[in-house]
Amino acid sequence: MTTTERAHALAAAAEPFRALLGPTSAADLLAWVEAELGSAEALDRWVPHGRARTKALAPGTILHVVSGNTPHAALQTLIGGLLLGSRNLVKLPRNGLAEVDGFLSRLPKSMQALAESSKDLPDSWLSSVDAVIVYGSDETVSALRARTPAGKIFIGHGHKASLGIVWDDPEFASCAGAARDASLFDQQGCLSPQAFYVRESRPGFVRAYAEHLASAMEHFNRTHPRGPLTLEEKAEIANLRAAYRFRAAGDLRVALWEGGGNLDWTVIYEEDLWFNASPLNRVIFVKPLPEDLADAMGPAAGHVGAIGLFPCTEELAGRFAALRPSRICPVGRMQDPPWTWHNGGVASLASLVKWVDFEPPSGLTA
Amino acid sequence: MTAHPLETMLLAWIRSPDTRSPGEVLPELHASHFRRNAAYRAFCRSLGVPEQVADWRQIPCVPQDAFKHADLRSFPPEETIKTFRTSGTTGEGFGQHHFRTLEIYEAAVLEGWRHAGLPTGPFLVIAPHPDESPHSSLSHMLATLAPREAFIAPGGEIDFDRLRAATTSVCLLGTALGFLHLCEQLGDRRLGLPPGSTAMETGGYKGSGRNISRTDLYGRISHALGIAPEDIINEYGMTELSSQFYARGPRGRHHGPPWACAIVADPVTLQEVGEGETGILLVYDAANVGSVAGIRTQDLAIRREGSFELLGRDPAALPRGCSRAADEWLAR
Repeated sequence: MTTTERAHALAAAAEPFRALLGPTSAADLLAWVEAELGSAEALDRWVPHGRARTKALAPGTILHVVSGNTPHAALQTLIGGLLLGSRNLVKLPRNGLAEVDGFLSRLPKSMQALAESSKDLPDSWLSSVDAVIVYGSDETVSALRARTPAGKIFIGHGHKASLGIVWDDPEFASCAGAARDASLFDQQGCLSPQAFYVRESRPGFVRAYAEHLASAMEHFNRTHPRGPLTLEEKAEIANLRAAYRFRAAGDLRVALWEGGGNLDWTVIYEEDLWFNASPLNRVIFVKPLPEDLADAMGPAAGHVGAIGLFPCTEELAGRFAALRPSRICPVGRMQDPPWTWHNGGVASLASLVKWVDFEPPSGLTA
Repeated sequence: MTAHPLETMLLAWIRSPDTRSPGEVLPELHASHFRRNAAYRAFCRSLGVPEQVADWRQIPCVPQDAFKHADLRSFPPEETIKTFRTSGTTGEGFGQHHFRTLEIYEAAVLEGWRHAGLPTGPFLVIAPHPDESPHSSLSHMLATLAPREAFIAPGGEIDFDRLRAATTSVCLLGTALGFLHLCEQLGDRRLGLPPGSTAMETGGYKGSGRNISRTDLYGRISHALGIAPEDIINEYGMTELSSQFYARGPRGRHHGPPWACAIVADPVTLQEVGEGETGILLVYDAANVGSVAGIRTQDLAIRREGSFELLGRDPAALPRGCSRAADEWLAR
C-alpha cells in the first residue's frame, strides 16, 4: 500500500472517533507526512533532497505502550505507526481499550495485519521491535527506557502539566473555551489545563474570571457530564474541596465554586501563585498571572505540556515560550491538537524514520 | 501555667476512661474551641454549625490540610509551649499543631498504649530522639514511651550492636521506612532478637519513592529480626492528632482509646458508611484540647465492627495525567 492508500484507510476507520481525534481526513494525514518528511511520498519513492534524492524508511515494528485514561493518545500514536506502514504492537492497559479494538476492526484486512495488541508486555516484544513509544509517568518511562535494548528508537511521553493564560479578556469571552479545555476527557490528558493564570487587568478581575469560569463549567457539564469516579478520586476531590472550603471561610484570598453534590466540577480561586497539581476530573485552579510564571510553576516548570492563550497572539506566545511547552494554542482549542503537533517537542513521524540517500550515477542533480 | 478546667477534666478522663463518654465530653470541647479559636469558629459558621451541638457527630471535622494554612490554636498564642510540625513539600508548606500543655498529650500516649495492651518494654527506638527532631510529634511520642538511652539510631545510623546485645525480649519502635532500611542494611543476614520481642511501626512512605505493603514489610521484619508478623504492631497517628490507633499483625484492624473515635464516612456526604464499606477516615480526638477535636484525614479505610481497616494513606499520592494505567502495569 502507498502512503496515500494508508491515509485513506486510516481516515475512514477514524471517522467514528472524531470526538476523540478531531478532524482526521486523508488530506490531514498526508499533510502531516509532508510537514515532517518533506514530501507526502517520501515513504514511497525517491524524493529530491538537496542535489541527491532520498527515501524515508519506516521502522519495521513499533511498540506502543499506552494508558487507559487517554484513549485519544493511544489512537494517535497507533495511527502514526500505521501511516508509516510499520508493524505495530500495542501494549494495552489492564482493562483494555475499546477504542483501539474498535478502530482496528474498521481497517482493511491488509492493515489489520499490521497491528497486534495485548494487555501483557512480553519481553520478546521489547527485544524484537525497532522503536518504542511510551505514554506514562516519568517513572514508567524511565523503567521502560532502561529495559529497552540499546540501539532502538525510544520516545517517552512522561508526565506533563498544561495551563491556560488569560492576558486580556474584559468580557470573559474565553470562559466557555476554558471550561471546554478543562472538562474534556475529564482532564486526564497531558493537554488538559490544571490551572488558568489570569492577568489582574482591573481589581478583582481574576476572582470575577473564576466565577464566570464556574458558570461555564456548569453549562458545559449539562451537555457533557463527567465520567464515573473511583472512590479514591472522589475522596481526593472531596478532601480538596473541604480544605479550600475551610480556607475560604476565613480568607478572602481564596474562593471555591462547587458544581453539584456529585463532584461534577470544581473551580478554586486562590491568590497564592504557586502552581497546584489538580486532582483532575474537572478541578481547575484560577490564579493571578505573576511576573515570573516559571518561578510560580516550581517543579512543574520543566513539565509544561501545552499553554492555552487568550488572546492567542504571536507576541504573547513569544513571551511564554520560555516555559518550553510543546504547544501554544488558543484557549478553547487545547484539546484539539493538529496532527502536525510536535507532541513532547518531538516530530512524531520524522523521529521514527531513517533516511537512505540515493546519488544517481549520472551525477548529482543541480 | 494554670490548668484550664477542661484540661483538668480531660486529663482525669484519660486516666480513668470509664468515668465519661465522648458524647458528654466532645460537645463541651467543641463549644470551647468555637469560643476560643477564630479560624475554627469561621469554619463552623460557614457550615451553619452552632457553638452548642446536641450530638458529637454534628461537630465538623477540620480538613487535615487546614493545619498548614490556619492557626488552629484554641488558646492565646503566648501560652504556646510546643509546636509539632508536619513534613511539607516545596511550595506546599507544613502543618503546625500547637500545644499549651503536653501533659494531656503524654497521658494520651501512655494510657492509649496501656489501653491497647501493648508491651511495657524494655524499648529500643530506631527513630530520631526529640533532641534531633524537636518538631516531630512522633519523636515526642516515642520519647514519652521510651527513655533517652533507648534511642539507638542517632543521626539515622542504627547501632546494630545494641540490637545484638539484647538478652531479654524487647519492643522495637520505629517508622515503617526505618524498619525497611534496617532490613535492607541487614540484607540476607538475620539478627534474631530474643524470643517474645515485638515491634511497632508507624508512618507511610510518602516522599521516599518507596511503597510496600504491610504484609511484605512484616515478612521482611520477621525474617530479619525473628519477630512473628502477628507480634508486629502498626500505629496510626498523625501530627494533627494527640491520640493513636493500633493494629496487630499484617491484617490487623485499628482500635483507638475511649477518648478518640474513628468514623469511616462517605467522602462526599460525610455520612458513616455501612459495615464493611470503604470511606474516608474522620477522627474525633478529645485529647486535642488545644486545637480542634474533629479531623478529616486524607486516609481511606473500611469500617469493621467498632474498628477500621486502614487501606492506605493519602489518596493524593495517586499518579495522575497520562500515566495511570501504565503505572498499573509497572506495579505488577
